Order: sequence, then C-alpha cells, then structure tokens
Amino acid sequence: MSQLQLDDIQGLIPHGYGRLGFASFVLLAVRDAESTKSWLKTLPIRDAGSRPSADDSCVNIAFSYSGLAELGLPESLLQGFAGEFREGMTGTEHRVRILGDHGPNAPEHWHWGGRYRPAVHILLLLYAGSEDSLARLKDDHLADSHSAGLEILTQLDTNRLPEHKEHFGFRDGVAQPAIAGLGANSVDDADGNTIAAGEFLLGYPNAYGQYTARPLLADGDAELDADNLLPPAPDETGMRDLGANGSYLVFRQLGQNVSAFWRYIADQSRRADGEVDLSACTRLAAKMVGRWPGGAPLTRSPDHDDPALSSDNDFLYHRSGDAIGLKCPIGAHIRRTNPRDSLEPQPGSDRSIEVGKRHRILRRGRTYGPALSLPLTAEDLINAEPDGRERGLHFLCFNTHIGRQFEFIQHTWVNNPKFDGLYEDDDPIIGGRGHRDMPGGVFTVQAEPVRTRVTDLPPFVEMKGGEYFFMPGIRAVEFIASLT
Amino acid sequence: MSHQSALTIIDEIKPDQVESLKTALGTIAAPGPLHDAIAFSALGNVHFARLVVFDQDRDLDGNPLPPKLALLTNFDGDVDAHIGAIAGTCGGGLDAVFSACVHYPEQAAVSAARREQYLRRHRVKEKALYVNRQGRTVSQILREKQLRDEIQRHLDAHPIASQSPAEVHRAIVSFVKDRSDLDWALEPEVGPSELWKRNELVHRWAGLALAVLLAPVFLISLPIFLLVLRYHEKRDVPDDSAASAESVRAFRADEDIWVHNQIIAVGVVKPGLFRRLLTEGMLKLTDYAARHIYNRGFLSGLNTIHFARWVPMDDDRRLFFSSNYDGSLESYMNDFIDKAAWGLNAIFSNGDGFPRTCFMFCGGITDEKAYKRFLPTRQVHSRVWYSAYPDLTTKNIANNAEIREGLSQTMSEAQAADWLLRLGVGNRLPASGFVARLLDSIRWDRICRNCS
Repeated sequence: MSQLQLDDIQGLIPHGYGRLGFASFVLLAVRDAESTKSWLKTLPIRDAGSRPSADDSCVNIAFSYSGLAELGLPESLLQGFAGEFREGMTGTEHRVRILGDHGPNAPEHWHWGGRYRPAVHILLLLYAGSEDSLARLKDDHLADSHSAGLEILTQLDTNRLPEHKEHFGFRDGVAQPAIAGLGANSVDDADGNTIAAGEFLLGYPNAYGQYTARPLLADGDAELDADNLLPPAPDETGMRDLGANGSYLVFRQLGQNVSAFWRYIADQSRRADGEVDLSACTRLAAKMVGRWPGGAPLTRSPDHDDPALSSDNDFLYHRSGDAIGLKCPIGAHIRRTNPRDSLEPQPGSDRSIEVGKRHRILRRGRTYGPALSLPLTAEDLINAEPDGRERGLHFLCFNTHIGRQFEFIQHTWVNNPKFDGLYEDDDPIIGGRGHRDMPGGVFTVQAEPVRTRVTDLPPFVEMKGGEYFFMPGIRAVEFIASLT
Repeated sequence: MSHQSALTIIDEIKPDQVESLKTALGTIAAPGPLHDAIAFSALGNVHFARLVVFDQDRDLDGNPLPPKLALLTNFDGDVDAHIGAIAGTCGGGLDAVFSACVHYPEQAAVSAARREQYLRRHRVKEKALYVNRQGRTVSQILREKQLRDEIQRHLDAHPIASQSPAEVHRAIVSFVKDRSDLDWALEPEVGPSELWKRNELVHRWAGLALAVLLAPVFLISLPIFLLVLRYHEKRDVPDDSAASAESVRAFRADEDIWVHNQIIAVGVVKPGLFRRLLTEGMLKLTDYAARHIYNRGFLSGLNTIHFARWVPMDDDRRLFFSSNYDGSLESYMNDFIDKAAWGLNAIFSNGDGFPRTCFMFCGGITDEKAYKRFLPTRQVHSRVWYSAYPDLTTKNIANNAEIREGLSQTMSEAQAADWLLRLGVGNRLPASGFVARLLDSIRWDRICRNCS
C-alpha cells in the first residue's frame, strides 16, 4: 500500500475539519483567467499534514470542468477527466433522471449551478474556529475579488447545529468510511469500513486494486509542466499525474422542509382522540432515518434511544439479526445509503461486504440556516410555526468514480423504489418522490405479525443547487496556476 | 400454464433504407412514427420485445457485413403459435417495419401466410437462452401484481390490531375469497405442461450422460487444451479504444426510464477454428446450465436478469448478447465484475477485442476500467423496446408468486408469520439448486489472484 502523500492532499478530504465550527462556501466565476491564476498562487491551501486546531483557519479549493477550461487547461488534459465530471451534474437528461432531479428538484428551479444558472468555475471552501476569523478569511482572499479576475456568484454560509444534528433533529455524519493508509487504517480490517484510498483519492489503488482513470500528462508535453510540479503516475511510466491526490467533490444544496416533515409524522401518529402521540412520532421518524434522534442505530437499539450508542457504527444488518428489517426498516435512510452486508451475493457474507466497499463516499457536508426551534426535539419541531426561512444541508462528498459511488448510491439505492426487494418505497427522508412509472412516496415498516406502512409522503428535501467539482492535489493547483 | 420461449428474426435492411428506418423507429427515449407499429401488447403473451438495427460493419478480414434488422421476443408457449400470432395480429405493423428489409414480400403479395413463411425463413435459433423462472406467464405475473397491490390496500385500510399470524393469514384469505376479481388466487397456478416437463427432464439427463461419456476425453485432452488456450490468450489483442462520449451519451439517454433496462452487444468471434469451437462449446454449456442449473431465478449469482439470449449472426462470424435486467447499467456492469466474471469471461473472451483473460475464467471483465471502456464500443441500440410489466423487478415477481402460493395453504403460526413477512419486503428468493450454489461459492477472486 502506497503511503498517502498528506502534504499534497487538501486537508478537508481526510480530516473534515470537525473542530472548525464556522464555514463558508464561495462560488466564483472566472472573468480574467490571468488575474485568477495570480490569485491562486497567493492562496494558503491547507494540506492534510496535520489536523487543524480549534483556532485554525483553513482554505481549500475545487474547480468545475468549465472552470478548468476557463483557466486554460489544454484539451488533452481535460479529456482525461471522468465523463460525469465533464458533463456536469445537469449535463444530460439521463443524469438528471437518475439523480431524481425532477419536479420541484429540477435544475430549472435551482438557485445556483447546473445548465440554467451562470457557470460556477471555482468553489472556495473557507473554515474557521470563530465567526470573526471566518470573516477575516473572506476578507483576506475575496475582498479584492475584482482584481483577482473573479466574480462572486454566491456565498453559501453554514450554521452548525448542536450535538452534530441536522435540521430534522437527528444526529448526522456518524458512519464515515475509514481511508486505508491514513493512520493505522488497513484495508484488510475485518470491520468492512476501511476502504481503499483510491476510492477517495486519485493516484492510489481503488477497491478493485486499479488506478482510476484520470488526466495524465505525457512527458512529450513536459513544457506544460516546466517546473516539474506534477508527480509521476505510479501506473503509467513516462506520464505525470494531474489527478494525483485529487478527488471529485459532489456538492448538492438540499433545502429541508422541517415543518412539512414533522407535521406529516404527527398526522400519521394521532391517537383515536386526535391527539398527537409524541413517542409514536419519534418512533416513526426514527424508523425512517434508521437511527434515533440521539444517533443510536435501530438495529442495535430497536425500541428506544440510547445515549451510549450515539456514535455507534459497529453493526451490520444481516449479521446483526436484522435481515428482514424488523428493527431498522429496509427502506430507512441509513440502510439505503449504506446497506453494509445487505447486498448480493449472499447477504451477511464477506463477499457481500466487499461489494458494498465499492460504493462508499466520504461525506463532508454542513448544515445551513437557523434551526426551526431549539433544542430540536420532536415536540418543539412539531409545535413550531413554519417560519418560511431557508434551512438545510450543504451536502458535500468525495469520491473518485462518481458513477460507481455517488450516482450509484443516489440511483440504485436512494431513489430506487425496488431497493432490496421493496416495491414502491423511495428514501423516506431525501427521496424525490413520484416520477413516471415509479411512484415512491411510500414507507413500509416491516413488523410482526404484518407490516405497517405510510403512504403519500410528500418530499421533505428539495434541491436548491449543485455541481460536480474536482479538488486537485496541492501541486496540481500550483500547476493550474502556472498555466500560460 | 405454459413455458417461455424466445424468437429472433434477422434480415438484411435495404442499404438505402437504413437511415429512414432508424428515423421511423426513433429511440426508446424519443419514439418515431413507427415505434409502436408492432403492437406487442395485443398478443397478450409477450414479456419483452425489441427491434434492433445493426449498422453496416466489417468482419476481421475487412469483408462488409450488411446492415440488419432484428426482431426479438420473449413469450409464453411455443414458437409456432407465436409466429402465427405475429403474422396475423401484428401483420400490419410487421409490414410497415420489415418492408425496409431485402427479403420481405412485396406489398401486393403480402398475406398472413406469406408473413409466416417469411418469419420462419428468417428465424435464427438462439445459441443459449436464459429465462429467470420457467413457467411464469405474462398473465400470471400481471394478475399476481394486482393481487399483491389489493392485499396491501386492504391492509392499509384495515390495520391489524392484535391478532396472531395465523389469524391474519386467514383474514387475508377471506378478503381474497370475497373478491370475485381476486378469488382465482386461492388455487395454485398450474405450471408448464407435462410434456414440456418431460422433455426438459430428458434433455437434462441426456446432457449429463453425454458429459459422463465425454469426461475421459476431456480429462485426457485437458493439458493440450490449456496449452492451446494460453497460446491464444497471449496472442490476443485487447481493444483499448474508447467509444466517443457522444455515443456513450446516446446509450445512456435510453436507460433508466423503467425499473429495468435492456442491453444488446455484438462482437466478432476471434479468428480460427479453436475459438469457433470454444465459443460453440461454451454456449452449449451456458444453454444447458441456464436450463438445468441456473433455473431458479439466479444466473451465476445474478438475480436481476429477466431474460437473456446469445444469437449468432453472419454465419457464426458474429454473435450478439441481449438481456433485460433490473436496475442501471452501472449496477449491471458491477454485478458482472463482482459476481459473474468467470462465466462471462468464458463466453465473451472469444469475442474480438475483449479485455485479456487468463485461463479463460480469470482477468477479462474483472479489469473494471478496461471492461467499462470496452462495453460501449460493442453496444447496439434497441430502437424499440417493449416490456409487459415495466414496474416489476424479478424479486417483485418472485415475491408476488410466493404471496399467492401462501393463500392456498393451511399454515401453522410459524409458517404464517414467515409468509406475512413477504407483505413487508420481498428480499428473500428461493435458494438456487445445489450445483448452482456450489459454482457460485467458488472464490474466483482468490483463485485468480496471481493469474495475468
């Protein structure tokens, strides 16, 4: 296993910056490429050499396909990028279809990104330990955006909620894959959660033991890289690696309709006298998520929340006695997005776990907007009046094969009403609902003696914007800045 | 009631009508005026059907292969009756589409009898056929879907309070009994005819007997075979060209509209007698395995395929593979790599340009990068694609059948509890037979680790 080149990897990818509570994502369009390249050289891009301390400030950067073209990356290199990235999140009808971006989620309605909004070229990601230092960071690098040749399209601010919760009131981000080669992580770990580095970073072997395709520079074109910035490609002699230590960043802004969610749950949980049964509400919502609000997984604690299990990720489904979904429903959000040992062939087997390892992503999202009501308990959220404010999740994830990882999860698992033997259920939390012959909007709770189910689920999450980006290695950013 | 068969009709297209035919048929995503000319649904017994245009191409020696039109159907019953039904019920549509072909009767001379004669003459027998589950007719599949939907609606409207599983089972049975549109379900389905079953049995044992007879020959010639195989494998030249982004996009545009997808890929068989014989042998084995080993819903570990077939073209110089499967092409390709690489390698490694194999079973499509690049270079568009049940997966169909079966059984509490779980989720499939499980348990990834 090759050692990870931490000093060339942008820090966000392995570290996530959990300690830095303040973040802002700035969407930029290049208006003058030469000035932008000079600006790029001034950016203190944070590498992965060390985890940030609580008062650090970190800057990371990613580019869209049109951004790389705008900065003058030659066609021979542009062609080396993955088709999904080249086409973009809204590049084809097919992609829009499999991502579930139809109806109110359609790209026509997005606030940013996609083919109906001005092209986003650069995504600047700023992280800091306090509001003041975040403001300082913006000031340092964007105050004079005009002379940097940049137009600020949108600034997406974030707002961290207490106890690592998202807006519906559930602890989020518990299950993350471990990257092999980072620290003591080894891909042979029996836990099934340590994933080959090449699944998240280009230039390393992936879960099939192969180097994922990426742009390579032939030595014949070496004058493009006169300063020898790019490392040699480990799998192709005589080639230099523009992809090395880089990763594709999927960005989707998901607006969350918290009132709609909890009111739907409340309507399904009324007693005969019409009163809302609060514990039934929490139970149904937990069944939809697959974890209790505090984070405890239903497979481990089927009947009640358990603070001792708030960060528990040490479970499977078939091997943990939950093959048929009696504890965590088959269609629950966390079971769909990471089915662990539920996959063919032979659910519960080592081979099943291996198959699952080819469809993982590193999530690096942040919540935005004010909480509907604090402290985010079911009772508060049900009783709170809708306030019409924008809130939700800036969903960010890293992967090296968008088609096999992010898009596969979104299409084959999240939006698929047929997931693991179901019929008409899509993801109860983030599903896009009805489309053509696939209705969705049903959620089945497997139970004894017989299932219960709720129908006519409205969508609770709405796409507000999105794009595919590439977050290069640090030397690759220098290379881009040096293009003439 | 009846078994499932396949029909393939192939004819040359008049060279000046290839483009106009394509335009008239359109694509799956953007149908043209003749897209629905052949009314497959009117036949009532067609599971899947499609029309495929093969562009003019060249064989390995540079000889031109003329453009062709293919009609593919999967249906209930015997081929003879099916051909008659197409020539009659779908006659007008057939005329409209196939008049672009070289050998189709002139408009003035066309009649049901002439169409039938034409279909028989241009029928190409598939070399291997896979049917997810023999004996399930279109009508059964559609009726059992309705049954399951109605039971679900009933349960939604009448939540179960506190009854034992056997009580709930009885309540569902009595709900079905009271519905004149559903009470057929209280009788179990009649399977394929006794004659058909007897033929299958004879075929099964004849094949086994032949295998026993040939085993000594096989064992004696194995070392030589392996030497020749390796000689060929080392001289193979994998095709590492990529399809244009535009052509890949055009294939994607037709995908993921229903819960299942279709694929058709055509390849030229590698030159020489060895490859030709090997192809023939592998397809014979595949056909036998699909009929007698992988005949319970799984093909080499994959349970998402409804129907698949391998069909020869151009005097066996080319071969196409066609399949109707659940889910996306990305998941299908991953399934091939993760679960069925050995079986697919054994067949497709005889196709020109295939990623390099090692001792037939190893390598090949386990090279994810090479395989996902290669496949679109051999893909062909299905211009028309028909499914009788575009919203059902193989798992749904199997589970619906189990739900229906359970209605006519007297159940203990434990049996009823188990049956009721099927109303919650249908992720339990009947186990494969012993030989299939044995084959699927082989850890090819370990065996192949050092083979390259």
